[in-house]
Amino acid sequence: MSRNTNLTWVYQVVGRNIELWEITKGGKVETLGDYKIRLPDESVGTQLVYPTETIDAGLMFEGTAYIEPFVVEDPNELTGGSANPDLTDDSTSPDEDSHVNMNRMFSLAIVDYIKAMNADSKGDLQRKEYYMREFWKKSSDAQSNKFGVFMTSPSSIYSVV
Amino acid sequence: MKVLEIMERAGMKETNLAIAWIKDAINLVQSQYDDNVATWKTGITKASDSVDNKYAFPSNLLKLKSISIKDTDDGKYKKIRRIVHDPVVVEDTDPNN
Repeated sequence: MSRNTNLTWVYQVVGRNIELWEITKGGKVETLGDYKIRLPDESVGTQLVYPTETIDAGLMFEGTAYIEPFVVEDPNELTGGSANPDLTDDSTSPDEDSHVNMNRMFSLAIVDYIKAMNADSKGDLQRKEYYMREFWKKSSDAQSNKFGVFMTSPSSIYSVV
Repeated sequence: MKVLEIMERAGMKETNLAIAWIKDAINLVQSQYDDNVATWKTGITKASDSVDNKYAFPSNLLKLKSISIKDTDDGKYKKIRRIVHDPVVVEDTDPNN
């Protein structure tokens, strides 16, 4: 049984893998039922060991992914005016009628990216740089729109009289 | 937004090239921003040989946010830390010792 895994497990990135380590303190550990008991015979201090138990679905990765980049339905329109649309993946053979699975601001950023690549293929680097700046500006706007960060500043003191 | 609309706005006529660049742009956005976040779960195996602490990144992962281990005491996934320095132990086939 693993407890306080946030304190007793660590990982290391090695190439395209991660290596999992458990932190143990002391020496030899025996398992009694579901419990791990450290024996008092040896003490080696804190050390890292390989995983000492099997945990079903025990490791979870969280991150951004290349999932359903193209869909059949418009992801920015509600169904019946209230519900989010059920998106159908259209990534195996996208065509001109496929929708890009991103919000409208990110889609506008993609338009700038394509303009930049088009300019790049024609050797017009100045135009490419301009559109890449526009791409990052719109991408940043699209991302910051989700967080709703508002800045306020105190107003100065004034007298009516 | 439809692929056709993007092509018209960008003045493109080649559909396949436009789709390829759209894919590139999506990769770039997902590498920088957390727009489409997913989770992947896999089992942990009790170590018995030299590769039993190695777990491959999911093949469609673009940018890692966190790695968690299931706390079997309360059934919750808890974020674990990344070690900065290489551990002294390189291989450990008997983790209980």
